[in-house]
Amino acid sequence: MSPPTFHRILIANRGDVAVRVARTCRRLGIVPVFAVSDADRDAPYTRGQEAVVLGPARATASYLDPVRVVQAAVQTRCSALHPGWGFLAENPLLASLCEQHGVTFIGPPAHVMALMGTKSPAKRAMRAAGLDVIPGSDGPVPTAAEARRVADEVGYPVLFKAESGGGGRGMRIARAAAEVEGAFADAQAEARAAFGDDRVYVERLIEGGRHVEIQLVADRHGHAVHLGERDCTVQRNHQKLIEESPSPVLDDALRARTLAGAVAAARAIGYVGAGTMELLLDGDTLRFMEMNTRLQVEHTVSEARSGLDLVALQLEAAAGHRLRLRQEDVRLAGHALECRINAEDPRDGFRPSPGRLTRWRLPGDQGGAIRVDTHVEEGYVVPPHYDSLLCKVIAHGDTRDQAIERMLRALAELVCEGVATTVPLHQQVLASADFRAHRYDTRTLPGWP
Amino acid sequence: MSTPGDSRLHAPTMVATAVAVGAEPERHQVHAPAPGWWRPRVGRGQVVQPGDPLGELTVLGVVHRVVAGPGVHGAVVGDLAPGAADPGRPLMTLDDRARVHHAEDDAAVAAAAAGELAVRAPSSGRFYSRPGPGKPHFVAVGDVIATGHTVCLLEVMKTFHRVTFGGPGLPPRAKVLAIAQADEADVNAGDVLLHLEAAP
Repeated sequence: MSPPTFHRILIANRGDVAVRVARTCRRLGIVPVFAVSDADRDAPYTRGQEAVVLGPARATASYLDPVRVVQAAVQTRCSALHPGWGFLAENPLLASLCEQHGVTFIGPPAHVMALMGTKSPAKRAMRAAGLDVIPGSDGPVPTAAEARRVADEVGYPVLFKAESGGGGRGMRIARAAAEVEGAFADAQAEARAAFGDDRVYVERLIEGGRHVEIQLVADRHGHAVHLGERDCTVQRNHQKLIEESPSPVLDDALRARTLAGAVAAARAIGYVGAGTMELLLDGDTLRFMEMNTRLQVEHTVSEARSGLDLVALQLEAAAGHRLRLRQEDVRLAGHALECRINAEDPRDGFRPSPGRLTRWRLPGDQGGAIRVDTHVEEGYVVPPHYDSLLCKVIAHGDTRDQAIERMLRALAELVCEGVATTVPLHQQVLASADFRAHRYDTRTLPGWP
Repeated sequence: MSTPGDSRLHAPTMVATAVAVGAEPERHQVHAPAPGWWRPRVGRGQVVQPGDPLGELTVLGVVHRVVAGPGVHGAVVGDLAPGAADPGRPLMTLDDRARVHHAEDDAAVAAAAAGELAVRAPSSGRFYSRPGPGKPHFVAVGDVIATGHTVCLLEVMKTFHRVTFGGPGLPPRAKVLAIAQADEADVNAGDVLLHLEAAP
């Protein structure tokens, strides 16, 4: 039985995110209030539900405006706000505005979010907590000469990254000493234009490697647990396509050491709620990349293995309850996979494909082994304003092969007509020998040319 | 326009735009520009036009003046009570049939074509040539006025609204030849208020 948390929660997000958060709210007897843009006013998930319109379809005047979002929570008498993932989920301003106006932000404190949002302090905190980091400068580099000294020390190629960056902007590679000056200046200029902060730091470029991340949950009383790792190596342009747990390539000793280190680090920075440490498997070392101070799209994979509801754990932590879960109570069973199905045409350069879903049928649940998270239905018009996710299919099995087989069966049963989807890509990747034998890294899609 | 809890000298302004109402071409609605606590400054029966203050929207403690945007004109026929407002619900419904008559109205266009320039009453009401007793008049004979200049107040159904100079058919600047109405006179829609001639 869950302890009491909130009566009404504003969901400051849209689509599958809003649906996911609302599901847990309803299960716990909490009224979800949907904050929507004009384009989502008639979305299926708002039917018969309380909703408040934030503004026009353009996200900067609706989902990305923290003032509108917090005011919406205040005037709908919501005592808490769930930011979901994406949009403002990692914006410390939203967290502090909530605090100022008496709305509980379901996430970490604003200062922890700000710490993890700037790269060098985050890296320093993680190194202090005992995690391996990518070798590089200790903080931003002030001059090209200093950049050159650090680059010579860590070895080429090196990568310049924006201190306040994200989304791949403000990044430049230097493959030799002669390229340092140009790369440094370009990274600075791009960082200034994109983030209003021209500080850049430098670290060794790790090419390829595997993307491994650790799901953490912490309370306000200094307790933290992990829900195991996820392997999100199947990516295209830094966009994750398939996530799985456990990672098929991690050995037990490295796994145990890194999980324990991540929990200690979360505790050390005073983390609260659900969060994820993203790491890069470089040879046989897992190195810290960044921490996502929010729930992630692929949290479902960890839910499938642990049987826990991460949104419910977030609500309990936000309400100030002690984590009732001890690490030994977290039992991770079998293998889970998630495929993100987007309205994109993989055969036409992943061209976005908005439009009306003329037919839409979900796959069977195969006795509870298949979960589908979606906000769409037959007749739904995929709006052109936001991301192209249609649904996520999560398959669970005793072994990786069983989970893959179940996923392939579910994808074959999924019917979607009217828009192009990435289902054929997933089918081809899952069926490929390279995927089965783990012969891929973040740069290559196994089984896809 | 400061209110308790907000000590700003100049309230930030938001513009509310018109949203069509399905089956009734003469009617349109004005939606809140953002979520907030709404306090109306106009009531049923009052005629509004673009630029008029409609009310105040308090967003996270900051009072914003809400003014009518382009296309917002007509008589208020339905309004939202003070309280929570958001862009999904109308603050008020306006009926265009009682709209403020600008110079695009036939009579004024005809008058302009005939070389006779005049400011006419946008609706029936009581004409006030000055903001209050003992205050200077808005215009005097011989003044050169430009677009946006207030020429008088018109009291319509117990509410005051400003009549400004300008619109299609009127030049950007004009000289006042005569004031056709006495202060506090009752006028009908279309009555001439000022006689003008074009000024350089």
